[in-house]
This record gives sequence, C-alpha cells and structure tokens, in this order.
Amino acid sequence: MTASSSSSGPDAAGARAAAVSIAVRARPRRWFASQTSRRLAFGYLLLAPAVLYVLLLVGAPFLFSLFLALSDASVADNTASFVGLENFRAAFESDVFYIALRNSIGFTLVAAVFKGLLGTSLAFLLLQPFWGRKFIRGLVVIPFTLPISISVLGWKWMYDSQFSVINWFLSQIGAIGSYGSADWPVWLGEPHLALAACIMVNVWRNFPFSAIVLLAGFTSVPNEILDAARVDGTSFFQRFRHVVVPMIAPILLIGFLFDTVFTLSDLGVVYLLTQGGPANATKILPVLAYQVGIQAGALGRGAAIALFLFPLLLPLMILMLRNLKRREY
Amino acid sequence: MADAPRTRRHKEIRRHAWIYAAITPYVIIAIFPIYWMAITALKQDPDLYRMDQFPLWFHLPPTWKNFSYLFYSTNYGAWIVNTMTIAAWVAVITLLIAVPAGYALARLRIPGSENLGIAVFMTYLVPGIILFIPLARVVAMLGLQDTWWALVLVYPTITIPFCTWLLMGFFKTVPMEMEEAARVDGCGYFGALLRIVLPVSIPGILTAVIFAFTLSMQDFLYGLAFVAPGDQKPVTVGVPTELIRGDVYYWGSLMAAALMVGLPVAILYNFFLDRFIQGITGGVGK
Repeated sequence: MTASSSSSGPDAAGARAAAVSIAVRARPRRWFASQTSRRLAFGYLLLAPAVLYVLLLVGAPFLFSLFLALSDASVADNTASFVGLENFRAAFESDVFYIALRNSIGFTLVAAVFKGLLGTSLAFLLLQPFWGRKFIRGLVVIPFTLPISISVLGWKWMYDSQFSVINWFLSQIGAIGSYGSADWPVWLGEPHLALAACIMVNVWRNFPFSAIVLLAGFTSVPNEILDAARVDGTSFFQRFRHVVVPMIAPILLIGFLFDTVFTLSDLGVVYLLTQGGPANATKILPVLAYQVGIQAGALGRGAAIALFLFPLLLPLMILMLRNLKRREY
Repeated sequence: MADAPRTRRHKEIRRHAWIYAAITPYVIIAIFPIYWMAITALKQDPDLYRMDQFPLWFHLPPTWKNFSYLFYSTNYGAWIVNTMTIAAWVAVITLLIAVPAGYALARLRIPGSENLGIAVFMTYLVPGIILFIPLARVVAMLGLQDTWWALVLVYPTITIPFCTWLLMGFFKTVPMEMEEAARVDGCGYFGALLRIVLPVSIPGILTAVIFAFTLSMQDFLYGLAFVAPGDQKPVTVGVPTELIRGDVYYWGSLMAAALMVGLPVAILYNFFLDRFIQGITGGVGK
C-alpha cells in the first residue's frame, strides 16, 4: 500500500507542475526521469544476484531434468543420448511405478484428512484464552520444528520390532497380549501397518502446522464482525460456516497447499523408516526416484519418475499463485 | 456480595479444567516421542532392552555413556561442526542476496515487482525431489561432490526465496519518510539503504538468519544425495546414515545424537514459528 501510494508521488507532482506552468514543464520531468532510471538501475542491480541464483540453481536444473528425463543419462558413463519418451514408457510399464503413484496419492490424502481433523480441533482449543496457553502451544508445535530426519529416527525406535513402546501401551490397555505374545504387531514389517506407520509420522509431524495456520486465520477475523453476526441471531455453526470460513479461506488454502506440496515430495519419512518396503508397500514416488536415479545410477529414469510429481503439484501451485496475487498489500 | 466473584472464579476453574483435559492428549502425542528419546538416551543397555518392566522410567541409574560415546568414537563432533559451518555460510549467502532483493522488491518501485516477488517465492515451493537429480550433475560439474560445500551451494535455493519474501514484507513496514529524508540530505540510494534502512531492519535480518539456519536443518534429501564421505555429512544426515552399522541399531546413542541436535533447533525454531507462518500466509494473521 505504501509503495503504490508513494509511487504516484513524483508523477502527481509532475502533473501539478505541468498544470501550473508549461514553461517549467521540461526541466522537472528530466530530473524525475533521470532519478527514475537511476532508481531502476539500482533496483535491478540489487535484484540481479537473487534472480541469477534462482535461475541458475532452480530454473536451469529444472530444464535440465526435463532433458535428462528424455535421455539415457547414467552415473556410469558421461555420454547421454536422446531417447525420447523411452523413460516415461519404461515407468508406465513397470508395476512399481503404479504402486508408487497410488501410494503417494493415498498417503497424501489420508494424511491430509487426519491433519485436518487434529489441526482444526487443536486450533479451536488454542483459540480459548487460558492460563499457560503460550507454553502449551510451544509444546504442541515441537513435532513440526524438529528436523525431520531426527524425529523419524525417534519413531523408528518406537516402531522397533521387539521393543516397541507403542506395543507396550497397546498391551497395557489390553488391545494386544502381553510382551512376547504372538500378536505383537511388527509395525514396519507388515505391508498395511508399514504404510499406516509412515502416515502416522507425517500426521504427527504436520498437524501442529495445520493448527497454527488455522489459528492465525481465526485470530485474523475481527471480533466486531462476529459480534455483528451474533447480534443478528446466528448460531455458532452459522457464524463459523458463513462468516469465519469464507474470511479465512485464503489462508486455509495456502496452508493446505503448502502441506500437500511438502507431504507429496517428502523423502525423509519413508526412506528412513522402511526404504519403501516391505514388498513395495510404502514405496512412494520420491523414494522410487531416489532409488532409481541415485542408488541405481539411472539419472534419466530417476528424473522421469521425479517429474511425475510435477503434474500432481502444478495445479496446487497455480491455485497458490492465484491466491497470492489476489492478496491485498 | 462475596458470592458473585466466587462463582465466577469457580466457573473459570471449571473452564480451565475442561480445556486442560481436552488439550492434554495433544500435548502427550506431540512430546511423547521426545520424552521416549530422552529416556532411551539416558538408560543403560540392560535397562533399555526389556519390556517386562515399566519402560517409561529408570530401573538402573541413568548414564551419560551414550553421549560420551558419540564424541569419542564417532564423527558426531565433525557433523555438528559441518552443520554449523554450512548453516553459517548459507546464512551469509542468503543475507547477501536476499536483503538487497527484498529491499528492491519492497521499496524501489520496480515495474512488475509484485509478480517478481511472487515468482521468487514460488521457487520455494519447487520441491527438492524434482531438482536433486539435475543438481547432482551440477554439483559434480563443479567438483563439489563429496564435500559439504555442495550443500552450501544448494541450500540457498531453499533459503533465498523464503527470506527474500520475508524481508520484502519486513521492508514494507519501514516508514518511507526516513529514506526520503536521508536522500534529501544528500544520501544516495545505496547510502540510504546502508545507513538508514538496514539499521532499523536488524530484527527482520536476524529472523532471516534464523530461517537460513533452521530451514537448512530441515533438509534430508540434498544431504543424503550429495555428500557421501562419513566425515563430511551434516549432522541431520550423519546420524541416521552413519550411526547404524549394518542391521544393528545402537538405540541409546542414536537417540542421544538425535536429541542433542533436535532439541536446540526445535526450541530456536519455536520462537520464530509465528514469523514463518506469517511469511507463508502473506502476513494475513498479523
């Protein structure tokens, strides 16, 4: 807002000067013009390093990955030749790719539902004024602030095949037998449990983020508007549905998109917990891309698999872009 | 007379009791893994590997040997030094690039600066998983493979977009009059930036430094893909890849290692979390 109002300053002054006298018109305009070009030159100079860095290390690699995906590049030899859509065809013809694609989408959707439920309920609780709220909030967001590889290690130990503390809890409440009985689940060893275990870590890590984003949204709704709606005799749910939700929709959307982009492209959780096993049960696209591209050294194949994430991410990014552009300054 | 405040007090206490009861499960879910890590790190092995007794507390005296093992028998110390050095370089590069860019986008009325700002921010959302394979080639071309310098090169691709965006928002809140006054007094654009805007922007710049640090600690993929030698790894990659020998997990020392890096980062990040949320939601919640 400051930028736009002050940007009209010199022009407005110029217009006023022009209205007053035609004779002095030329001089101020030249002065402003040179001032403007100096300012712009300085601006582009300051901007150049950032633009260059981003172009060289994000833009160029992205284009390069398009090229790699169309080539048979590998770690082993330095000559890469153009193979057209061969890598994509190979991906489409392998069962693992479909499993990874399905797991990636399923993982993201299921995790999003749980993060939404836990995050919303937590945000409502944290919205209440109570003694020690700041401290409690600080405790609850720890999962999100912990470096990802560190917290996944902790979970790996909690999922241990013999000494799982989760199983100990379950046996204490009687859901499974006591220690040593055959029904103690091996969390990372059984296909369905392994996928659930990975999803659980993602939910644990990111539900505080959902809660904090929602909380930021809720607190941005002015009390006067809620009071006005209350005076009009609306119920809590009516106010929530027709006043709060529309008002915080942009912030909600951004939070949701962020979380989805990072969940869909995250390698750490699954790689460290299961490496995609057992029997591909937790194989997701990032893990597959890493294993094919780096571990097996087939750069072209790996790049092609990673690029499949892009059509999944693109609609989200476009939504986000439109959202950011609509926002007021 | 005395009744009214007392019932109000009672009501307050009842309300608090409800809220605490409702929020306790969330707190337990959030911090139990950290508690479990801590107690694992401090337990002696004979106490750790048994499930027939209450596992959430000590049955033998706690020990520091898992911690000392890390520093005397592994590369843990080197990883921490690597991580700190990487983070320092990343912070310096990020500041040198993001401060001018954020300032230019916020204050110099460049045509299309709005869109440019959004474009820079959007690159923060291009995930590493799409870029890491071509970047592996870039890193190899520059001869940086197998040293942590590779990470100094690539981490700014995460931190520059985010910090530029953050600083852009910050510079917009600095009153324009101050610079204009400085320019009237004969300061050039650069002088105004250096002498007037930067000094009052120290809090924003400090925040950017913290994010350069914490965001590069959140990475796992680049560290895993670009740095192979054991003594060159950052701590977030070294701990999960090097401390596990074959199929044997030394959980005590693993958890000690995880906790010692994790907790300080988590606490530091905690203080700046609101700025992070404000940054990505575009300051709507301010």
